[in-house]
Amino acid sequence: MEFSQIVANSLIRGSELSLLAIGLTMVFDILKFSNFAHADYAVLGAFLAYSFNHVFGINLLISIILAALFTGLFGIAIDKILFKRLRTIGANPVSLMIISMGIEIGLRNVLRLIWTSEIKTYAIAIRRPLEILGARITPLQLKIILVGFLSMVAFHILLHKTKFGKSLRAISDNRVLAGACAIDSEKMITWMWFLACAYGVIGGTMIAMEHVLYPRLGFDILIPVFCATILGGIGNPYGAMVGALILAFAENIVLALDLSWLINLGGFFNVHPIQISTGYKPAISFVMLIIILLWKPTGILRKK
Amino acid sequence: MTLINFFIYLLTMVGIYSLLAMSLNFQVGFAGLINFGQVVFFCIGAYTSSLLATRIGIPLPFCFAGGMILSGLFGYLMSIPTKSLKSDYWAIATLATAEVIRLIALNEGWLTGGPFGVMSIPQPFQSLFSMISYPFFYLMLVLVCVLLIYFVLSLLSNSPFGRDVKAIRDEEEMCLSLGKNTRQIKLQAMVVAGMVGGLAGALFAHYIAFISPENFRPIETFLMWAMIIVGGRGNHAGAILGAGIIQLFNVSTRFIGDYVPLSSDSMASLRMVIIGLLIILFVSYRPEGLIKEKKKVY
Repeated sequence: MEFSQIVANSLIRGSELSLLAIGLTMVFDILKFSNFAHADYAVLGAFLAYSFNHVFGINLLISIILAALFTGLFGIAIDKILFKRLRTIGANPVSLMIISMGIEIGLRNVLRLIWTSEIKTYAIAIRRPLEILGARITPLQLKIILVGFLSMVAFHILLHKTKFGKSLRAISDNRVLAGACAIDSEKMITWMWFLACAYGVIGGTMIAMEHVLYPRLGFDILIPVFCATILGGIGNPYGAMVGALILAFAENIVLALDLSWLINLGGFFNVHPIQISTGYKPAISFVMLIIILLWKPTGILRKK
Repeated sequence: MTLINFFIYLLTMVGIYSLLAMSLNFQVGFAGLINFGQVVFFCIGAYTSSLLATRIGIPLPFCFAGGMILSGLFGYLMSIPTKSLKSDYWAIATLATAEVIRLIALNEGWLTGGPFGVMSIPQPFQSLFSMISYPFFYLMLVLVCVLLIYFVLSLLSNSPFGRDVKAIRDEEEMCLSLGKNTRQIKLQAMVVAGMVGGLAGALFAHYIAFISPENFRPIETFLMWAMIIVGGRGNHAGAILGAGIIQLFNVSTRFIGDYVPLSSDSMASLRMVIIGLLIILFVSYRPEGLIKEKKKVY
């Protein structure tokens, strides 16, 4: 594969994953638990966008925005019903994690009940790929990179230039002190869930648009998202973006690698190119995750 | 007659899942190790035992032992990172590990048969029984295994080792300060749990006589978690009760599927939605489960 193609593919994958990783990392940062349901919230949003677009005939872009809003509200509702109670009684974060696992399985099967396990595709006209520096890239993929980049910039501005972002960072640093400065942490947590879910929906919908949409998509993206989050240092949104990019590059490079030089020893033997079977593509992020956890569980970018 | 067969099947599956739930309970309820990849022991035990039997053809007791040993070893491997990882990081790592092992089973067709799985796995002592009495014999075999493991695990958890394990769950720093080698204790707990899980896998493979990677999806881990959350953590009877309840629900709703106007796919999803709700409700409102752990005061 051309090197420029690897770069293009990695940028696309990285944009998609980082939008999901940001939400996961924020929830961990503020609430101190790993939200296993995060990817399934995103898939819920992708299905909502699909239905708005297909059943009600709303423009796809507006459908995605509506889906992000609805899923944000859904995330808030789940927090109010389930997590808030456990937060106030000071439950162990492990209980929160197990509940999120219950939500994950419950939600995924609700999706399967409503939309069935049939594979779905969005109504997007297939266009001829453009050729940029030898890499073939479709207009949709260009838009994905653009949306990913703009979302990241928007997130940075939100976190650093607005009162909301400053309050959010204050809560993450020291919740008691933030409370003493009249920052309502419950209100901030509500907005944080909204933001996490909405960003997740944009990322999830982009993945579903580029490939296909099915209820189990949530599990298939969960571990890559966790991997990106932990790789960049959990609790650090910029780390999540860097982690997503590194993971995306690793996935594409490992699949493009030719391992025959290991046996050929610089021309001693002449073995045909050996490549890792594409059946192992999901395993790349899993193995990377395990290696990072063994080698540097704090991630590359330390928090703050 | 079919009803009796159905009950024998149900009880056998309850027995096999009781072993898995007891193994998971030993990690979660006793040692406080949050394992989201429990199905990996089931998978390794089943594949090792059935491949030893079909490919090499050694006597079945050795196949069972092989499955237990290999998954015990895998428990040892999985316990290595617990020394440096926080519990939820380790949980994510175990989830990923279980999927990696399943992907290997799916992709290395020369060894495991790939997506087609391992077929015609021999069943122990089959020649001694008729077609009708054999399931009953197998049920007895499974029950004996459950009783034996229950007995061994009870002995272990009441021994000094068991008290160390529980102490690590409650106060790891204090154990360290008392000079306990917490890492080694966790390692031993994982090896024990791995062997029990491997036994369950071998029993399952030789009962069903056909296994494929589809049997070892992450959803199985989730069912085992539902069992220990509903039944109660920190005691072995709770794990068995939970396995009974969840399996009864899981299998009997398959049975009534003929009378409900829903496709089998929607029935399966509905079942999982209910089990997910059960987990959420139990963790929120009755975190100790149906059978509470008896805390001894010394």
